[in-house]
Amino acid sequence: MTNKFVHKNSALNEFVSGLKDGLPLQIGVIPFGIVFGIVGLEVGLSPLQTFFMSSILFGGASQIVFTQLHATATPFAVLVATVSAVNLRHLLYGMVMSEYLRHLPLKWRLALGYLLTDEAFAVSHQRYTQRPTSDFMHYHLLGSGIMLWFCWQVSTAIGILSGPTIPESFQLGFAIPLTFIAVIIPSLSHFPAIFSAISAGLAALLFQFLPFNLWLIVAAFCGIIVGTLSSYVSKNYIKKIQERK
Amino acid sequence: MSVWIAIIFTGFLTFGTRFLPLSPLMPEKLPDWLQLAMKFVPVSVLSAIIIPAIFISEDTGYIVIQDNLRIVAAIVAIFVAYFSRSTAITILSGLSVIWILTFLE
Repeated sequence: MTNKFVHKNSALNEFVSGLKDGLPLQIGVIPFGIVFGIVGLEVGLSPLQTFFMSSILFGGASQIVFTQLHATATPFAVLVATVSAVNLRHLLYGMVMSEYLRHLPLKWRLALGYLLTDEAFAVSHQRYTQRPTSDFMHYHLLGSGIMLWFCWQVSTAIGILSGPTIPESFQLGFAIPLTFIAVIIPSLSHFPAIFSAISAGLAALLFQFLPFNLWLIVAAFCGIIVGTLSSYVSKNYIKKIQERK
Repeated sequence: MSVWIAIIFTGFLTFGTRFLPLSPLMPEKLPDWLQLAMKFVPVSVLSAIIIPAIFISEDTGYIVIQDNLRIVAAIVAIFVAYFSRSTAITILSGLSVIWILTFLE
């Protein structure tokens, strides 16, 4: 009896600290969701499509990529391929978290898989690595995930409701590239990432003539290849310098 | 209708990339080069979207450099993003630059 109480209590504690740890990140999430709601309508999606995309896709970058490609009348296959490419990073998150989550029952893994976004990963991975471990750590990810999910749905709805009141001269469509600038700048902390960004950007301009918006996929591959190769080169270079010493 | 199909399809794939590593189907470790390459996916895809959205005119489809307010706004936004690390402030600063410059024109 007492044992059961203790269990419930620590599960609840983990859940609440997940909610709390996720809270500061909402300062970034809520405006992002509002922008998505506004932009979704602006590119011609219906309010329902815009709203349900936030729960079906549930990923800021992929949703905005979706709207951007929808706006430029991109064929289905290219749209699906590009949105999936943006999501490939989740494989990395999952692989890092699987160490802690693999043993859980299927329904837990389904729920946590659905909730595993950039922000929830960042917050809960910190908890998994920095504080003493417990058997209820997955409740932390549940908490940070639910906090994010809730704020994302509400802010999307706010965007959808406020969108039509904003005049076109405000050029809110430009919020998409601005959002992406905010997303990638913190990750440009080493040269391979900078090279990767520059080469993908240049290739995107060079290959504009390709049909079906294929320039996007070609440019992404250019960036990935340049980034990967240059980090191999820089690793070898650092090794050589260290060997000399 | 096709929009709904695209939403559901991409939603399914998005869930797949998140759930797959938590399922027994996925090997616990991918080759090093593949893991390294995947780290460059978001930066590459997003840069490939950012750059044309700044430089290519929506009306003509050509690259515009002269009198392109978006270039100024993007440069300001890059600095603001670097120092503030905030999505909201970055979006607001970039849009304000566009609004102010359009107003002054």
